[in-house]
Amino acid sequence: MHYDLIVIGMGLSGLMAAKTAAEAGQKVLIVGKGMGSLSLFSNSIDVLGQLPKTMKMEPHRQTSDVDTKAHRGEHPVPEDQFTHEQVSGHLGTGMKDGLSQWIKDHPEHPYSKVGLEKIEEAFSSFLSLFPPPYSFQAIDNMNCLLPTGAGTLRPTYLIPTTMVGGISFDGGHTLIVGFKGFKDFYAHYVADQLKCRGITLSLPDVPNQEITATALARLMEKKSFRENIGREIKKQLQGETRVGFSALLGMHNPFQVKEDLEEIVGAKVFEIPILPPSIPGMRIFNRFKEWLIQKGVTFLLGYSVSKATLKGKRCERIEVFHPPVTTSYSADRYILATGRFMGGGLKANMEKVFEPIFNLPVPQSKSREDWFEKNFFTGAPHPIHQAGILIDSTFQPVDERGDLILENGWVVGSILAHHHYIDEKSREGIEIATGYMAAKRALAK
Amino acid sequence: MKIKTEVLIIGGGATGVGISRDLALRGIPSVLIEKKDFASGASGRNHGLFHSGGRYAVSDPEAARECIAENRILRKIAPHCIEETDGLFVSLPEDGLNFRDKFLRACEEVEIQTTLLTRDETLELEPELNPNLLSAVKVPDGAIDPFALVLENAKDAEEHGAKILLHTEITSLILDGDKVKGAKVKDLLQGEEYIIEAPYIVNATGAWANQFLKRVGLHIGMALSKGSMLITNQRLNHSVINRCRPPSDGDIVVPNHTVSILGTTSIRLEEVEKFEVTPHEVSLLIQETSKMIPAIQEARFIRAYAGIRPLFQSEEKGNDRAISRGFVLIDHGKRDGIQNLISITGGKLMTHRLMAEKTSDLICEKMGRDVPCSTHLKPLPGSNRPTSLKERLEQFSTDQGETLCDCELIPRKEIEEVLGGEKLKDLQDILHRTRLAKGTCQGGFCVYRLFGVLHDLRMAEGDSNKILKGFLEERWKGIRPILWGIALKEEELIESIYKGIFNL
Repeated sequence: MHYDLIVIGMGLSGLMAAKTAAEAGQKVLIVGKGMGSLSLFSNSIDVLGQLPKTMKMEPHRQTSDVDTKAHRGEHPVPEDQFTHEQVSGHLGTGMKDGLSQWIKDHPEHPYSKVGLEKIEEAFSSFLSLFPPPYSFQAIDNMNCLLPTGAGTLRPTYLIPTTMVGGISFDGGHTLIVGFKGFKDFYAHYVADQLKCRGITLSLPDVPNQEITATALARLMEKKSFRENIGREIKKQLQGETRVGFSALLGMHNPFQVKEDLEEIVGAKVFEIPILPPSIPGMRIFNRFKEWLIQKGVTFLLGYSVSKATLKGKRCERIEVFHPPVTTSYSADRYILATGRFMGGGLKANMEKVFEPIFNLPVPQSKSREDWFEKNFFTGAPHPIHQAGILIDSTFQPVDERGDLILENGWVVGSILAHHHYIDEKSREGIEIATGYMAAKRALAK
Repeated sequence: MKIKTEVLIIGGGATGVGISRDLALRGIPSVLIEKKDFASGASGRNHGLFHSGGRYAVSDPEAARECIAENRILRKIAPHCIEETDGLFVSLPEDGLNFRDKFLRACEEVEIQTTLLTRDETLELEPELNPNLLSAVKVPDGAIDPFALVLENAKDAEEHGAKILLHTEITSLILDGDKVKGAKVKDLLQGEEYIIEAPYIVNATGAWANQFLKRVGLHIGMALSKGSMLITNQRLNHSVINRCRPPSDGDIVVPNHTVSILGTTSIRLEEVEKFEVTPHEVSLLIQETSKMIPAIQEARFIRAYAGIRPLFQSEEKGNDRAISRGFVLIDHGKRDGIQNLISITGGKLMTHRLMAEKTSDLICEKMGRDVPCSTHLKPLPGSNRPTSLKERLEQFSTDQGETLCDCELIPRKEIEEVLGGEKLKDLQDILHRTRLAKGTCQGGFCVYRLFGVLHDLRMAEGDSNKILKGFLEERWKGIRPILWGIALKEEELIESIYKGIFNL
């Protein structure tokens, strides 16, 4: 089968690239082993958690800051008190200034290759897939802090509706709810760190055994189940005005689950990001999948690309392996969105880091001794995270001299060189912006 | 507060705890203090080889004789700590057969039973071995669980009246003429300080022997030799695999439950506290051991670690592997005029019981008491515990709560039993007493869950993330040298969780 464009990789950057191409009327194939990091991490959308220090812009939190005082107090803050940047995609002024400074300071960074204006376009495109009620919003034009499953606070930018209740966290007025038998969230642990109260509920419809995140998310979608737990929480409420759950409030209709719980409990309900898997990330994936299939994109989930056949500097076809069958597909253009080590986009043996499909060069430290810092939490990111694929200004892969390697190939997402997405807290932002931009560039060539 | 006892033992390794048990069985009261947990030095950081003595037969017949004698005793008194795997000394083409013949004669000399196996017989026993091997010699090696061994000794000692104080450090010694009257000590967890007085003091601090002796202005000749080891993700061999050649780097693979341990290197250290495994040592171990078991080239590793061999050195300097692995018992009364101080060091985990016996004999002699040792006759407390899979399965119940550790399949109930309702003393204490954090992810998931359980049980209330960060930093030492392949992939996941999702 021949396509206009084949996207290899089904994480957020691949999905964005496929969406962008499909919107332009292209015949698109997207092939991937899995959902990329969406199934693991993407609870909210990070753009740049670590804003440049010179900008003096602390994330939104309840400090003595005059600006934020309005959001403190006895009662949950009504959502409409915030300046929501919803659906429009315009970056808030704070984030915009931060990014613009970041781009100046880091000319090689993927954001710099996209440019501020196109980053905004990319976010518009992403947000258009998520109209209310389950939408993403920026609070006060800036990063805000959300509580996590370790009871820490974490800066992030675009927040799904179900997590908004967790911002401006003020301890005392919050109840954290955990479930017996679910081993990846501990209400007392979280509550003790955040100085509030925690309770652990026994699950009404589940016998005394282990329950997984996906099973719990599905149970939440049962009306009778959430009514049961809602009533139990109401009984145990001691004046708390907010109730935090692990981010498992349903896979398909989390807004409804949240609304129902709020009505029964009589307090604001919010989700807290936890250990993988990430149910909120899967919601993003499912939305893209539904949209792409509806647009006629060929969607091969659970398939991996075993080989690319090149003729000169052009990719002629790829082989897709789905045991026991191997099938060939060809396209005019190819977008590589295979992620880093976790996704299999990069591999490492004892001697070196390499890119397994096209064997693109991966600049890296000379010896394994230098891949990682001696301390885990150094402050300085581990050097290996900078290793990745070099691209030109149009997102095409180049070697260290800057010469084009693949005439009909583009590279997007975390596999790119010159970023530290873990430390920067820029994972989803890089994926959305580069996925969008590279597809635009590919279509323009 | 002041504690008075007959013998004060410093050091909670196999030797110190062995002395504690030996004295207790002889009816002599003692107090043992250890600044960390049991087996925090070389006793807990070795490859877990249950020696036949074969490794020393050629170079150090005396040490070999001690090993085989203790081998026979420990099989009787501590069967639950030992896996009787046997060991093979494998000759590769590049090794020739000269050393093998010398080895066979030396084993005969020290009465280590051997069986010479042909290439085919060897490969039938160990299919993963290099098919080009020439032959192998079978000896009664095995695998031992050092921590269990130390714990069982401690338990028996305490049952017979000995006192053991963990996380307790000496702050100063109290001198009285030509004697050490006692020690000022500090409970490192509670902060309490007090005095322990005893007519006899035993320095069983292993590699830390000179740090202790410095307090009384003494010094003994010791070489600190770092040995690095590497743990595979799965067990590659049934029996212990040794290279049949003079001892060298990367010449042994010891099976241990579900994994194999590759050893070792030998690097001289000046300092006892700071040591780490380098990626270079890891490469060397893989390169050498894979000559015996080629599958090691493709294996996944879960951790690298190092221990320090406290080797006693007479005068001359030289290759650390040539220094005797035998132990040394020093009567500082005779040597230095400090009448009631004894040092016991050198030696091996394998000979800990013998070292304890000789030390206790010397103490009895000094006391003028004539009570014989009985540690070689009396089995350790857990030795009637079920060891076979069938018996263990029969004990298994289905209602164990959720599985906290997916690598080692540890149910919540098992952890709650270990915690036993006490306040969290030290994370490492809990990890030592369970299989948590021993599997493939090295605690990447289960230690977070452990904190969850501790908070659920109200055994932890404070800032657990600080301790969690400390654990991850410590964990990193063992992980960093082995990061490539799948291990690197998983580490990206772990880093994304703790620095990413949790923003630690």
